[in-house]
Amino acid sequence: MDIDGKYYRAFKERLEKLDAQSSKEKIRKQHAKGKLTARERLDILLDEGSFEEIDAFVVPDTEGIEFGKVEKNYGDGVITGHGKINNRLVFIYAQDFTVMGGSLGIVHARKIVKTQEMALKMGAPIIALIDSGGARIQEGIASLSGYASIFHNIIRSSGIIPQIAVIMGPAAGGAVYSPALMDFVFMTSYTSYMFVTGPNVVKEVLNEDVSFEELGGAEIHAKKSGVANFIYDDEENTILGLKKFFSYIPSNNVENPPRIEEENKTPGENKKLLEIVPDDPNKAYDVKEVILNIVDKNSFYEASELFAPNIITAFARLDGKTIGIIANQPKVLAGVLDINSSVKGARFIRFCDNYNIPLLTFEDVPGFLPGIDQEHSGIIRHGAKLLYAYSEASVPKITVILRKSYGGAYIVMNSKNLGGDFNYAWPTAEIAVMGPEGAVAILYRKELAETEDPKKLKAKLVKKYRDRIANPFVADEKGFIDEVIDPATTRTKLITAFEALANKWVEVPSRKHGNIPL
Amino acid sequence: MAQKKKLYALTGKKKYSFNLPLTETIKIGKRHYKIMIKEDEKHGTYILWKNRRYPVEIIQSRQNKFEILFNYVSYSFTIETPFSLKRKRYLDNARGKIETEKIQAPMPGKIIEVLVREGTEISRGEPLLILEAMKMQNEINCPHSGVVTSVNVKNEMNVMKDDVMIEIKIAK
Amino acid sequence: MKIKNILIANRGEIAVRIMKTAGKMGISNTVIKTAAEPSAMYLSLADNVFDDTESVSEIPVFLDIDRLIHIANETGADAIHPGYGFLAENPYFAQKCLDNKIIFIGPSPDSIYKMGNKTIARKIALANNIPMASGSKGQIPTEKDAIIVARSIGYPVIIKASSGGGGRGMRIVRKEEDMPKMFRLASNEADKAFSDPSVFIEKYIENPKHIEFQILGDKFGNIIHLGERECSVQRKHQKLLEEAPSSALDSKLRDEMGKIAIKISSAVGYYSAGTVEFLLDSKGSFYFMEMNTRIQVEHPVTELITGTDLIEQQISIAEGKKLKLVQEDIKLAGWAIECRINAEDVQAGFSPAPGKIEQIIMPEGDNIRVDSGVKTGSVIAANFDSMIAKLIVKGKDRKEALKNCKHALDKVWIKGTKTTLPFFRMLIRNERFLNGTITTSFIENELDNYHVNSEYEELLAAWMATWLFVDENLDESNLKIDAEEAKNLSPWLLNKRISRH
Repeated sequence: MDIDGKYYRAFKERLEKLDAQSSKEKIRKQHAKGKLTARERLDILLDEGSFEEIDAFVVPDTEGIEFGKVEKNYGDGVITGHGKINNRLVFIYAQDFTVMGGSLGIVHARKIVKTQEMALKMGAPIIALIDSGGARIQEGIASLSGYASIFHNIIRSSGIIPQIAVIMGPAAGGAVYSPALMDFVFMTSYTSYMFVTGPNVVKEVLNEDVSFEELGGAEIHAKKSGVANFIYDDEENTILGLKKFFSYIPSNNVENPPRIEEENKTPGENKKLLEIVPDDPNKAYDVKEVILNIVDKNSFYEASELFAPNIITAFARLDGKTIGIIANQPKVLAGVLDINSSVKGARFIRFCDNYNIPLLTFEDVPGFLPGIDQEHSGIIRHGAKLLYAYSEASVPKITVILRKSYGGAYIVMNSKNLGGDFNYAWPTAEIAVMGPEGAVAILYRKELAETEDPKKLKAKLVKKYRDRIANPFVADEKGFIDEVIDPATTRTKLITAFEALANKWVEVPSRKHGNIPL
Repeated sequence: MAQKKKLYALTGKKKYSFNLPLTETIKIGKRHYKIMIKEDEKHGTYILWKNRRYPVEIIQSRQNKFEILFNYVSYSFTIETPFSLKRKRYLDNARGKIETEKIQAPMPGKIIEVLVREGTEISRGEPLLILEAMKMQNEINCPHSGVVTSVNVKNEMNVMKDDVMIEIKIAK
Repeated sequence: MKIKNILIANRGEIAVRIMKTAGKMGISNTVIKTAAEPSAMYLSLADNVFDDTESVSEIPVFLDIDRLIHIANETGADAIHPGYGFLAENPYFAQKCLDNKIIFIGPSPDSIYKMGNKTIARKIALANNIPMASGSKGQIPTEKDAIIVARSIGYPVIIKASSGGGGRGMRIVRKEEDMPKMFRLASNEADKAFSDPSVFIEKYIENPKHIEFQILGDKFGNIIHLGERECSVQRKHQKLLEEAPSSALDSKLRDEMGKIAIKISSAVGYYSAGTVEFLLDSKGSFYFMEMNTRIQVEHPVTELITGTDLIEQQISIAEGKKLKLVQEDIKLAGWAIECRINAEDVQAGFSPAPGKIEQIIMPEGDNIRVDSGVKTGSVIAANFDSMIAKLIVKGKDRKEALKNCKHALDKVWIKGTKTTLPFFRMLIRNERFLNGTITTSFIENELDNYHVNSEYEELLAAWMATWLFVDENLDESNLKIDAEEAKNLSPWLLNKRISRH
């Protein structure tokens, strides 16, 4: 080929122009906001030299624009392509705030749609790095149609390939629904926002003053709305977290999650486990300590940590294999089930079920949270989601009852007859229709009213109830649990059990889809 | 991560810098000293430095924030890259350094008396509440002067370690 | 009457300490296993263990007089040693023992009552011309009364629990507007700690040294003192380090104070071991503060410089034996220092830091004594005190004792909980402490921080933090993913999965 020829020269010039587009000034501006540029983000996220860009040279659709103006540029404010994370293929699109504020026009949208379609065909995960001012007003309804196509594609791919949104700048208006439809949302504190209507509109319509951060900052979405599943203090840590997340999940719904064997195997027996759960059922403890003493070292990645912390949802590994953990957290509200924790648990279970991630449940739950607020806000239908999700899940399901397991909550938390494959209990377990105090108060109301020292009688009856009923042995003898196990050897027990369940398959009646109580 | 050549460990106003890849040596003056993390049954985890064992424990590790008990003294660090450090400085300026201090329960216990209300102006060292634990009533004092922005506890309430009891907006 | 079996109504290091002497004297011991710490160290060293873990009582057994008497009868114990804390200074307990023909190893119920009630103790001291800080005549019932009394004495004043001890229920008040709050706090705390909300008020002596005299008396009216201990290193009236003797006393002052200590003890017909506490101001004037009618935590420093086993003396006095020692026998030889290594977070203002002792290695040597009730695996529980161990070090003089103490502290190895070690490592390098001139306000008024600061150690810690970050986030080998294996499904599963999708 004649490298001095016209076409080759034009080819080279174009490349130079693309480079020049990301001027130092623009990069400086982005940095000055405490943000990285889209290309820098891709650099950190993807294995070195693995990124292959698609459609780098498309230009915005300027035809028919009658209002405002669209500057000509290459790429139309979004970088799309594929690359590798720890040697595994992912498709990715990264909005570029330095080009027209990353606003979404029809060409921008087409690039994203193209990437989505490829990811689905290839059975590879797709990542959206979002940093965009929203719909491109100049392009009018065309840009809205762009959003609609993107949403439609997300829904088509849902449950087939993992779809992850990483919010690293603004995401406002309709744009928020693309992360909302995806499987998990990452956010970077202080520099990312999500809201359907921004502070200005809130001020106009409701006359309420609220800042960007207070309305839709990372912390709000992590703690209150539950929209953000993972938040980090800065972009580099956000991306590092995303990489960690990917080490737990498979590329699609046919594959198994990857296996990462430990270099130094964690021993199967751990005496520390004998000391964490207090004998006194009214004493709190941190269930994370139980988990960390069972799973592989350095393998605990918690999702939605700050939202409804009375239930823990986390990825972890056992003998190198990914599991999804759902655990009641006695440290917070005694680990009670309420609306938020039910929804949080249900959504996590469904993700795991989609992507062949076995479920491990640690149970210590006093019941559902009573109260007008909960009842009126629909604990019935929200609690049902958790029940539905557990029962529907066809991946291997194991429950370990650590302590309290009462009433409706006992049923919900993956009980045997709800389809639990192996249901174990520690000797500290109390399995019963209700807690000893409540049961004694109902069954011995008369005696308690008549005695001189009701406190003493109650203590005596509670003790009797514990000895006779609220212990794991009754349930064990009746077959409602499979085995009472030694806490110290829980890890070995679980590894063996999951191994036995590795090829579990459940036939489901053919249907379009079930009707989960949304 | 080609562009990350350095990491900083920040504590208070101090900054320690380490080159990547991180080696098991520490440079003091012109000399390099070997530093090693070891573990055995008798001592647990320790750091071996100049032929002496130093006990070390990880109290907390959360994203890039670490609290380390080294030789019985606790140190808190955030680990930053050159860019995240720049970002931190920018954000600190942008937010005008109005920060809230969360008063967390240092130990599990029972609240005996809350001595402040939302909006109370309070100066450093003044008592916020009385927490009973280990049979002692402990006065929890205000670490910075400021205004109480939220009180999350009530008298007679039980708290767990690290529960946020009171939040204070620090006065500049 | 010879004692055969002592029920130790206590736990932790003092239970272990009492066992040691009992064993030496050929007396067997009985201890109580509680649900709160069923695997405590003292249980493994005992001759007999009474299992009380099934008890449904709401009162902890060590505070339950009837239950303890019952246990003594059950186990055939003919004597009870209360240790310190719990019921050690409860006259009703001592009386109940007497009523049940059980020897109470301690003073008479009457002495305990008189000295235990601080307002009565004040009256006795006044009647015997014992030098004392001015204060209220009796208990102060209300905040209003407190303000009136405080005005008459002049601020600063100190509020104390009538049945107090160990710093609980004490509050210093410097200005009138603080009085209502402080009064409430003191009374509240006193009520919780001693089931007695009554308090009294005294003039607060600024910057005193805390000097206390160890007393031994028998049932025949013989009383001697075993010299003094200085406990000026204290925070909020909690002692942290004690030494014997005190660098503030010469033999003349020692004689003078010792005689006063004996005088007040005689006034209540005291027998057994006891401690008379004084405040000593910078001019050499001293004021009687209170008398503790029990064995003290810091008793080992006296034992080391006098060569006396105080528990042995307590037991033999309780058996009705005459004191073999006379005042002239008591020679103070050398210098002893005790560091209380507690599970506390000195950087968070000495707040309790309960936890499990992962490893503990205490130094050994001729000049070192360790009194401890914990071993590797023990739990420092939130419902008991935070003591891990007492490190007691001796030298021929103060300088040598300090040097030995510094070395010994460097050899302590404790993992699993925060401890007061950084405080002692700082203290042992502090000029003011080294020259022996500190007062009880030293920690609160003169120290900016309570722990040793070392730049090198901070650097090492920074490296450790960075190493952890790299290990968790950047170390690619942690994420060596075997992607191929993930695709390697059994035909059974693969077939099913594909046919469904």
